Amino acid sequence: MNDDTCYTLPLGPQHPALVEPEYLNIHLDGETIVNVDINIGFMHRGIEKALQQRTYQQDRFLIEKICGICSSIHTLTYCNAVEKLLDVDIPERAKYIRMIVAEFERLHSHMLWVGIAGYEIGFDTVFQMAWRDRELVMELLEDLSGNRVSYSMNTIGGVRRDISKDMAKKIRTTMDKIDSRLHHYINVFVNDSTITKRTKGTGILKQEDAKRYSAIGPLARASGISCDLRKKAPYLLYDTVDFKEITHDTDDVESRAIVRLKELLESTKIIRQCLHLMQKGELTIKVPETVPEGETISRGEAPRGEIFYYVRSDGTDRPYRVKINTPTLANIHPLQSMLKGQQLADLPIIVASIDPCFSCTDRVTLIDTKTGISKTVDETYLQKLKR
Amino acid sequence: MLFELLVYPGIIFIILTAVLYSGIMRKIAARMQNRIGPPIYQVFYDIIKLTGKENIRPKQAKPGFTLFPAIALASALIAGILIPVYAPIISFTGDYIAIIYFLLFSSVAVFMSGYASSNNLAVTGAIRGIVLIFAYELSFIISIIVPILAFSLTSIQSFDTWLIAYYPLAALSMFIAMLAKVEIPPFHIPNAHQELVGGYSVEFTGRRLALIELTTIVKTFVLILLMVTLYLGGAQNIFILTIKSLAVLFALTLSRVLFARLRIEQALRFYWIFALIAAIDLIRVL
Repeated sequence: MNDDTCYTLPLGPQHPALVEPEYLNIHLDGETIVNVDINIGFMHRGIEKALQQRTYQQDRFLIEKICGICSSIHTLTYCNAVEKLLDVDIPERAKYIRMIVAEFERLHSHMLWVGIAGYEIGFDTVFQMAWRDRELVMELLEDLSGNRVSYSMNTIGGVRRDISKDMAKKIRTTMDKIDSRLHHYINVFVNDSTITKRTKGTGILKQEDAKRYSAIGPLARASGISCDLRKKAPYLLYDTVDFKEITHDTDDVESRAIVRLKELLESTKIIRQCLHLMQKGELTIKVPETVPEGETISRGEAPRGEIFYYVRSDGTDRPYRVKINTPTLANIHPLQSMLKGQQLADLPIIVASIDPCFSCTDRVTLIDTKTGISKTVDETYLQKLKR
Repeated sequence: MLFELLVYPGIIFIILTAVLYSGIMRKIAARMQNRIGPPIYQVFYDIIKLTGKENIRPKQAKPGFTLFPAIALASALIAGILIPVYAPIISFTGDYIAIIYFLLFSSVAVFMSGYASSNNLAVTGAIRGIVLIFAYELSFIISIIVPILAFSLTSIQSFDTWLIAYYPLAALSMFIAMLAKVEIPPFHIPNAHQELVGGYSVEFTGRRLALIELTTIVKTFVLILLMVTLYLGGAQNIFILTIKSLAVLFALTLSRVLFARLRIEQALRFYWIFALIAAIDLIRVL
């Protein structure tokens, strides 16, 4: 394997296998991947700076736009952080509704992933079917919040919309439908021979590698690491509902598919319990516009893994600093070890198996065009730019 | 003779029906995947639109960039008119070898055009295509020569008997080789767009792309005709031809919606093992 026989192929920034712009430079020897350069930074939107210029309530709407798929968990974690700073406890019913929406989000996100996984291995039928079944959840979300994406359900101090009795009934029947579909997909991913031919043994991420790269979310759970925040550090009322944390230890793409699908069965379980446990009551409590001085962190389990918010307040109605950490930023590094030695044909499904959300991931990178050396921007550099 | 050659059941008939069948296939596949799908004549629109689009030749393109797509389509059409759908249009000793040759050359020309575009993605696609030829060609040749040897013929002819009942393995072998020849899942490996963007056709636009698309479409129909002629009892009139060819098309569509794409080495292993099994029929006729 020397440099003479190697050649490079670009995956991205514009590529049919990627929905969002990202650039992977793949070094190949024949059909075997020798090395991968991961370049992020095509979608940097300066959101963290923009958050500082808006009030806490306005930030909610901007934070929702960070990710189209997991928009609810972003606002949920942010609201949790601000409520911690305000030192308020939101009504119980609001907590359950937040949990229900968060689990809806996990449902439609993972169903979307199942479709993408089918598409990446050239199985368009799985793609079409999974996305059709995803519509069940999307319709529920539309009924509940009025929107298919960016639901705007969470607000600081509670939630904005209630779940009526009829709605609860509809949710229950839909959950039964989804459960039966999920069992079908688990069967497909475990037993369909053309799918297992592509997913078994590809994109291996050993447990020690996953720990070394600090992988999180379903990716880590598929390597046998227990890391579900809903169990490890329960927020809202996740400690009152009964569900299992799903781990699987075959380390490959199939393992990730199984973890995601089985996780959804737990999600429907959580939603049913929430509907059962929910008592009549207030949806919001009144909160002041200014937030007392202080700093806090908040974590939540997004469909793709742990989401982290740091909020610092200087006593005004605008945050002094909001720092966001998204799961794909942690999960994109294990790609290096997962892709080395694999076939080119398995590249799309392995990249997809981390369920990447690139626009959440992007950070500023400076590249010196003369030397080609890239470096990230740190705070001291930004301070220097300030006049 | 000239009418038969050029119009019916010759070149114009083949092209028009092939495009129509391609549309039907898309529609059936869409319905199977629970979609509405494009109108059946959508492929006509696509090809007419492509002919009006800008014809870009990349700077790094090698000679043959323009020629190979045309050769590919021409080869597929020649193979088409050599097939005796009702009665032979042109017939000569050993014309079945010519059919094998022209169908093969049509594939090679498509991959060579990808190679001539000097794009890494296209070249990778072309190499995969050539590797795939080594995989399926043996099964395909077996499936053609089994009926020829069985009746000690010197040229190909339409069989009234359903040879699929006598040589099921050879018939299956032709069907499976067909899937790879026209890149239907699970063998759409050379133009796997998730890995290779457009595969061999990534640099092609306008009329050249139309030629390449048309080649695959025509090849599909020609292979369906071959299947009907050799194994499905032939066609005495257009009515029977339509029914039988649509049945083959339906089987192809089933494969298109039911399988994920195999990796190239998995496809290679599959075809070589399958060629060994299909050889049982070959041994039986010898």
